[in-house]
Amino acid sequence: MSVPNDDNPSSHSQLSSHFFEELLDSIVVDVASECHRIARLGLDRNLEEEEEELRLSTQARARVADPNHIGETNGKYVIDIFGQTHPAVANEIFECMNCGRSIMAGRFAPHLEKCMGKGRKARLKTTRSSTATQSRYTRGSPVSTYSPYSNSTSVNRISNGTVIPGEDYGEGAFEDT
Amino acid sequence: MSTKSHHLIQRGQIPEACSHLIDFRSKHGSQPFRVLQKCLRVKPLGRAEIRRDPLEVPRCASCGISARSRLYACVTCAAVFCHSAESSHASAHAELMSPGHEIAVDVDRAELFCCACCDQVYDKDFDASVVLAQTAAASTLGGGSMIRVVAPPENMRKRRRVEYRPWTPDPKEQLLMRKSSSVLKSDEGESSNSLPWGLRGLNNLGNTCFMNSVLQALLHTPPLRNYFLSDRHNRYLCQQKTNISNGSVGNDNNKNSKLCLACDMDAMFSAVFSGDRMPYSPAKFLYSWWQHAANLASYEQQDAHEFFISMLDGIHEKVEKERGKPQSQGNGDCCIAHRVFSGILRSDVTCTACGFTSTTYDPCVDISLDLEPNKGGSTKNSSKSHHTYNGEAESMISGQHSGISTLLGCLDRFTRPERLGADQKFFCQQCQVRQESLKQMSIRKLPLVCCFHIKRFEHSSSRNMSRKVDRYLQFPFSLDMSPYLSSSILRSRFGNRMFTFGEDESDASNELPAEFELFAVVTHTGKLDAGHYVTYLRLSNQWYKCDDAWISQVSESIVRAAQAYMMFYVQKVLYFKASEKS
Repeated sequence: MSVPNDDNPSSHSQLSSHFFEELLDSIVVDVASECHRIARLGLDRNLEEEEEELRLSTQARARVADPNHIGETNGKYVIDIFGQTHPAVANEIFECMNCGRSIMAGRFAPHLEKCMGKGRKARLKTTRSSTATQSRYTRGSPVSTYSPYSNSTSVNRISNGTVIPGEDYGEGAFEDT
Repeated sequence: MSTKSHHLIQRGQIPEACSHLIDFRSKHGSQPFRVLQKCLRVKPLGRAEIRRDPLEVPRCASCGISARSRLYACVTCAAVFCHSAESSHASAHAELMSPGHEIAVDVDRAELFCCACCDQVYDKDFDASVVLAQTAAASTLGGGSMIRVVAPPENMRKRRRVEYRPWTPDPKEQLLMRKSSSVLKSDEGESSNSLPWGLRGLNNLGNTCFMNSVLQALLHTPPLRNYFLSDRHNRYLCQQKTNISNGSVGNDNNKNSKLCLACDMDAMFSAVFSGDRMPYSPAKFLYSWWQHAANLASYEQQDAHEFFISMLDGIHEKVEKERGKPQSQGNGDCCIAHRVFSGILRSDVTCTACGFTSTTYDPCVDISLDLEPNKGGSTKNSSKSHHTYNGEAESMISGQHSGISTLLGCLDRFTRPERLGADQKFFCQQCQVRQESLKQMSIRKLPLVCCFHIKRFEHSSSRNMSRKVDRYLQFPFSLDMSPYLSSSILRSRFGNRMFTFGEDESDASNELPAEFELFAVVTHTGKLDAGHYVTYLRLSNQWYKCDDAWISQVSESIVRAAQAYMMFYVQKVLYFKASEKS
């Protein structure tokens, strides 16, 4: 294509569109060249398999969304594959390996949590009850400072022998856990 | 390119040369390509181009025009010609000077072209020249090379691989089995429909479905199952050993050292595969795990993935205590947990100024993937972080056209080059200043079992809130991991040239197919703090739903449509290494 010499706008737009075409061509050849290499070297992904998997998944979702689909019953209150039924809360009974008590399976975790002294709730519960015990003693006289969860601040406060009305004191000491 | 021919092409094989290229090679050998190497100009992260001198502007010798999208330099006489479907001065030259001037090279893309066949052709020696030029360019600023030999992780020695031989007991072993064991009762009267061994419900002990779901997957993880069922960790012997080493002194450590998650797993395998179909209560296991993971011990719903990691760590720690020294996880020799799940991730950080790459290796027991928002319709790549090496074409498949998130899409995202922000400038050893850089992940070594974890739970510390991402993720039943291997990623970074990249050039593991099969899916339904975990198991190509104590059979569709949280894939063919002792 010959390069136009004059200055008129139409030849400018011709020129710019010509350059654009060249640039676009170049980019297209870039991609074509790379894809050609990938294909020839066998590096491309197995697109048919991938598309098949996508198709199967779309099909599956449509099937499952269909209200007539019976594929999956709510297994909780139905007979299982071996012909057995089970209660909603597991009722097998066994011995706790920490304390030896007989516990029902479905309640084992909450029991074990307290039994092992783990978990937030377990700690808080014990703390509150020990505060209640201590506040009864502090009304009269300085008292032994035994606390299962030693919190240095609170121990110090108790051991100072300060006579403090139990309720107020109880509130403040064990807030941070 | 016909679809038929695609299936005949093996991954990474050398394509057949056309007759003209063959003639050229037989006449000149690889000498011309080595000469060309001097004309290869490479910019960091850019592609190689052919220029006699750096500032040359190539022009077609026939028409004099330089602004052509395709200019080819004849490898025989170095004359440059243009080429297009409509008019090809390159082809004219080849015909005029025939024979011997058919092979040319694309001056902007460094690709060989046969002007007689009008097709791009490939040559191993030419590719090698290009890669060497690219490597040399990156190291001209002194010192580092793009493919410098980074010491692979410790203990990654090559080991002989032996053929898998199916085992059958010899007469002595048969006698031993008859005398010292009792036959397990299989399902009565259902020989044709007998249900698989090891299918047994797990009682929910109080919000423990997070644990049950992972345990079900592990109970059916083939290498793990084989390990425990072959009595490789005998809980009686293990406890005996612990008692002996502790002596008869009753100290507090006794309780702790008796703690062995592997022993509890052994007990669970025995129970679950015993043939008894009443649901099993993994109480002892919970007790042991809570002793190990004190910070996670509480009666509230936990995260299944967190449990998985914690559990593997527990098995590993016990081994460490026994051996008395830290065990490297990378090669998986330390314990069965790592032997099965441990892989190695490779992280490359490349300086955008000079091309110097810093590589690190890290062991991993799973791959956690982000579920990024995928707007339907036109693909809108977050252009801020997206970048390509060498102008490589990015695969536009993986469900982006339909707007569905897919596992392959997540893996693509995981391994794509990511431009680190200007605030994360990386200190380049070559430039000796902080530079903007590109980071790219890849898989150096695949584990026996790949566990993919989808990050569905987002915690925002700034807003002090968490949320769950419910978006559906498509996952395949068969998975080919080869595009995500370090060798593949490295190769694509160099424009997919035919060249052996990576340190262990003869490492057979990169040539073996990296095909995996799905065998377990852990799903989560419901809200963040009030949800339920369920596992789907694939046994003999039949799917079963394991919902705590309730086992039921489900169709494939149910599984495909489920909201996957963790997916377990096992290597299709297990390769066995010769043991060190033999």
